[in-house]
Amino acid sequence: MSAAAVLADIDWHVEQQVFFYLIATTQVVAAWRVVTTKNIVHAALYLVVVLAGVAAQFILLGAEFIASTQVLVYIGAVIVLFLFGIMLTQARIGAENDLDQPNRLPAVLTAGLLAILTVSTVIRTFEDVELPDNSRTTTASVSDSIFSDYIIAFEAVSVLLLAALIGAIVVARKD
Amino acid sequence: MRTNVFALDPLFLDDVGFEEVGIVLLKVVVAFVMLLVSVMLMVWFERKFISDMQNRIGPNVAGPFGILQTFADGIKLFFKEDLIPERSDRFVFKLAPYLSLVPAFLVFVIVPIGGDFGEDGDGTVTWFGHETFLQVADAPVGVLFFLAMSSLAVYGVMLAGWSSGSKYPLLGSVRASAQMVSYEAALGLSLAAVILKTGSLSSHDIALAQTGGIVNWNVLATGIVPFVIFLIAGTAELNRPPFDLVEAEQELVGGFHTEYSSLRFALFFLAEFMNTVTMSAIIVTLFFGGPAGPTYAGPAWLWGMFWFMLKLLVFLGVFVWFRATLPRLRYDQLMDLGWKILIPLSLGWFLFVAALEIGDNRGWSRVVVAIVSGAALALGALLMSAAISASRRQRLDEQAESDSPVGAR
Amino acid sequence: MLGQYLPILALGVLAVLFAAVSFVASKLLAPRRPTSAKAAPYECGIVPTKEAPERFPVRFFLVAMIFIVFDIEIIFIYPWATIFEGLGLYGLVAMLIFAFAVFESFVYLVGNGALDWGPLKKQVPRTR
Repeated sequence: MSAAAVLADIDWHVEQQVFFYLIATTQVVAAWRVVTTKNIVHAALYLVVVLAGVAAQFILLGAEFIASTQVLVYIGAVIVLFLFGIMLTQARIGAENDLDQPNRLPAVLTAGLLAILTVSTVIRTFEDVELPDNSRTTTASVSDSIFSDYIIAFEAVSVLLLAALIGAIVVARKD
Repeated sequence: MRTNVFALDPLFLDDVGFEEVGIVLLKVVVAFVMLLVSVMLMVWFERKFISDMQNRIGPNVAGPFGILQTFADGIKLFFKEDLIPERSDRFVFKLAPYLSLVPAFLVFVIVPIGGDFGEDGDGTVTWFGHETFLQVADAPVGVLFFLAMSSLAVYGVMLAGWSSGSKYPLLGSVRASAQMVSYEAALGLSLAAVILKTGSLSSHDIALAQTGGIVNWNVLATGIVPFVIFLIAGTAELNRPPFDLVEAEQELVGGFHTEYSSLRFALFFLAEFMNTVTMSAIIVTLFFGGPAGPTYAGPAWLWGMFWFMLKLLVFLGVFVWFRATLPRLRYDQLMDLGWKILIPLSLGWFLFVAALEIGDNRGWSRVVVAIVSGAALALGALLMSAAISASRRQRLDEQAESDSPVGAR
Repeated sequence: MLGQYLPILALGVLAVLFAAVSFVASKLLAPRRPTSAKAAPYECGIVPTKEAPERFPVRFFLVAMIFIVFDIEIIFIYPWATIFEGLGLYGLVAMLIFAFAVFESFVYLVGNGALDWGPLKKQVPRTR
């Protein structure tokens, strides 16, 4: 019996649902704390929780490669960059009150519009696409699509990285 | 031999029942206990080995040959007062030891510590009528999992230093996190050549591809350079001597954990040594065939375990040997080594190995491919050294400008 | 699929429990006599006068930024390495273009002194 056939016999749906809602709740709470916490380092840490939740959701969907990418790049590099940035300017211990902004209404409007846009795009694009049972994205299938359908995007990423490094030089000049 | 498309543990191929869950739990608990015991022995081994090299006796009171010294130290730390500095961020201060310890435990899951890795073994063991791997979990993205966990280790160091609200820990932690981040890039790039040879990210597949003799070991198959880079970058990632600037006692008191006392300090210490053990185990798995080796009489998986432990011991010895012999680097030397030598070299070597492989597949002459790609590598090296000397010249000019007194003429 | 990750989760939970139980044990066993001297930042006996520094050289930020670039490169190199034999020459050229684009900007970065640390050794002019 092949591995895939046996895996298909196992009913993961209930567990998947339970885990999904557990992780999603954690993410929402953490995301709320990102904007409400009074300490900027704490905000970065709550952001880590949100991103780790995204990685966990990917694992739940059987996309291990994307999940580890999420941890490696976002948690392991981007938030570390944030923390360095925070420590470059100021990272006081304790509550800070000047982190808040008076522009709450525009912020809520922007966030709401963004949410509507994302949700409607996702729904319209994947309206009748059904995820196959026990879908499993292997690293090989990810790389197959990178190096066939998305080869232009792949090379474009290198230009993007080039731009990022040039940006780094601008930052470095005469510090 | 079963073709494992997904590199899945065969334990999960049949219906998952109580016995399977029991085996998994057994593996988890055994791994947990083994890690703790190995840390205990490693600390003792390091102290004893170093004292031998320095012509001293070392721990010799607690237990035979002082083997229980770490245990005694651990118990002592339970009875020490736990101080939380008044200027600290209490929540993060308490969180940081967890962030160090948990990734240290988790990395070990991808290491196959035994199993039938003989001439035509498939790396499995049969327990209670169930075929399984002798590793806690075989994640199909094993190598990436290892990198992800070692990138999480930065958080423990960084937050411990920041939350202490004290000068030296903060300096130590910023240094340490920059160092760990730099060498992680070299670590990841040097591993790419190993993946090239195996075609899989799963640690079990990588170990399995190295069975059948020393020539198949990745250390030789990838041409030694990736191994050397990995060893150096791994030592730096562990913050072990000669890369222990993080806790350079002479200048930074104790580095990021200066303000930690009692058990909180013990957990950092535990995580540090656990990472050393795990890093050695990962070097053995990725470059030295893991449990691969000749099997003789008796169960084959036991031989796998024997070879694994033997190789592990060699690398633990190597790490201690580094500590005993090499002087600490300066911070600029450390950064130069990582960014200007190891990273470009590992990238270039990876492309070189890939070009050789593709040339072999297409039947090109090896010599021609080697000459062409060697020339390309040399060109890259030339560019790099030109860049380094250009920036050096620029800095010398600036220095000369600022040094010359204004009204000298 | 999920099954492969449950042992990792279990070990993680065990690790957290181990740390938590140790803290509880230490809390029960250890004495607790805080004084203001003990709670002050440790500076080898010197009474701390200044606050911890709040600003760091921009170099550290730069290192983290360049690290992201190489991290992303690793993320693309790994899947390429798993299937490069099937891609053949086409794949090699695609990867060479990618690697070259990153490498030359890295060289430019190094040439501009973005990764230089600390003062250069002073070249003392030989005077007799």
